[in-house]
Amino acid sequence: MTKLQAKNIVKHFDHNGNSVVALDGINLDVEEGDFVCIVGPSGCGKSTFLNIVAGLEKPDSGEILLNGNPISTPGPDRTMVFQEGALFPWLKVIDNVEFGLKMAGIPKDQRREISRRYLDMMQLTKFADSYIYQLSTGMKQRVAIARALAMDPEILLMDEPFAALDSQTRDLLLVELQLIWERTKKTIIFVTHNISESVILGNKVEVFKNRPSKIKKEILIDYRRPRLAEDENLQKYYHQILDELKSEVIARTKDEAQ
Amino acid sequence: MTGSIPLKKSRDNIEDAANAALLMSVFIGVWQIIFMLGIWPQISLPSPAMVAQTFAKIILNGSLPQSIGVTMARLLGAFAVSITLGTLIGFTMIKFKGFGKTLNSFSAGLLSFPSIAWVPFSILLIGFDEFGIMFVVVMSSIFSIMISTYSSIRNIPTIYIDAAKNMGAKGILLFRHVTIPAAMPSLIIGLRQAWSFAWHAIIGAEILMSIVGLGHILSVGREFLDMSQVIASMVTIFAIGLLVDRFVLQKLEDKIRRKWGLDNHR
Repeated sequence: MTKLQAKNIVKHFDHNGNSVVALDGINLDVEEGDFVCIVGPSGCGKSTFLNIVAGLEKPDSGEILLNGNPISTPGPDRTMVFQEGALFPWLKVIDNVEFGLKMAGIPKDQRREISRRYLDMMQLTKFADSYIYQLSTGMKQRVAIARALAMDPEILLMDEPFAALDSQTRDLLLVELQLIWERTKKTIIFVTHNISESVILGNKVEVFKNRPSKIKKEILIDYRRPRLAEDENLQKYYHQILDELKSEVIARTKDEAQ
Repeated sequence: MTGSIPLKKSRDNIEDAANAALLMSVFIGVWQIIFMLGIWPQISLPSPAMVAQTFAKIILNGSLPQSIGVTMARLLGAFAVSITLGTLIGFTMIKFKGFGKTLNSFSAGLLSFPSIAWVPFSILLIGFDEFGIMFVVVMSSIFSIMISTYSSIRNIPTIYIDAAKNMGAKGILLFRHVTIPAAMPSLIIGLRQAWSFAWHAIIGAEILMSIVGLGHILSVGREFLDMSQVIASMVTIFAIGLLVDRFVLQKLEDKIRRKWGLDNHR
């Protein structure tokens, strides 16, 4: 079943008075239970696309359908894990995880029960009563994932959530995220500029083309899980995507040199 | 990581107190020396001991505690009005952008307006009474609250708002659970500034308009050529200003900054 459909999404930006095309007709079908990775050079509009799916930005034309219904506002059915810094420092870890449930008017007992379950899943039970500044960057992102999952969204949106992590922590979270995906059967859209990440995580990798941004290629990766960063069998996918992106990066560099 | 921090903190506190005591003894020592040199007559510059005697006198006869009580009651009343109205106007400024922008530049101009300059206006408009004095205090501090509310909310990192909306927060819930706490570290700085304006204003207004209060006993000291009482009043004004700022507002600000993760590297 098609969970989410992006239909011809177009978005312009105003850059020093000139209109720049950020997204030039993005079409994407995401099936229920898909793990879709969007990979592309920085500035290619992939985060903008994710913000449009989240309802935080509006497209100039085109529409997003969730379960066949058009959406235009942000909503707890599409929760986002941001790159960093989106946790609320004035709340304890557990209250951060409960935030969306509180907004939805779910009673306190039930909130506690749900948040404890996800804190447990992310191995954060010991830190339930900590404040955000007391956590490492990796723990913060685990809280952010727990917070997004606690809402039990239709789709989990992830905007370069591991970009600020050191490589050991990232490798660990790459495995954890795959296990969570298998356990919860969530539909995930994951944006990254890191090719390895996209190969390890995605069963579909969408390669974004630069200026004007379009989906250049879709690569299907049918390979056993959990996939590890050092798995050599993933190399061929890696190179396939790298080849697609190389020309994009070169084009981009030329673009910027002018 | 735990253990050592409270230890270091209490050591810092002891060091701070020792430094303050040292500074104070030097100050009193220099004062005593100047007094003994006899440059000024005793009536113009009494000794530290004479001021201490006056202090004891006005505490024991009840005039100092009463003055402090009256001044603080006026100040807290006026400051409460200032915070309530200032915050509400600040919220309105956020809601109506054009209005907010205009009022913001207008208020910034009034921020540097001397509080004492409100006194004649207040006397003619309201009169020589409690409300006249409180009016001066309100007018001196409300603009600071308005500006701080407006700019604190405008400067909230958009990611907090995005994240909250993404989790279904909107309207009054978004405002109460995200906007206000996110703006808090900056709001408290505005509050401190407003408090200092209000403190300047109340003493000034009491010197000119009142028959009781700290500003009043200061001006009575002058009228009776009682320099000891003038100095004793000044010391009291200084001490209260310092205590409230250091031990109430600064403490509150530190606590918020620590919890919000703004001060963890020191």
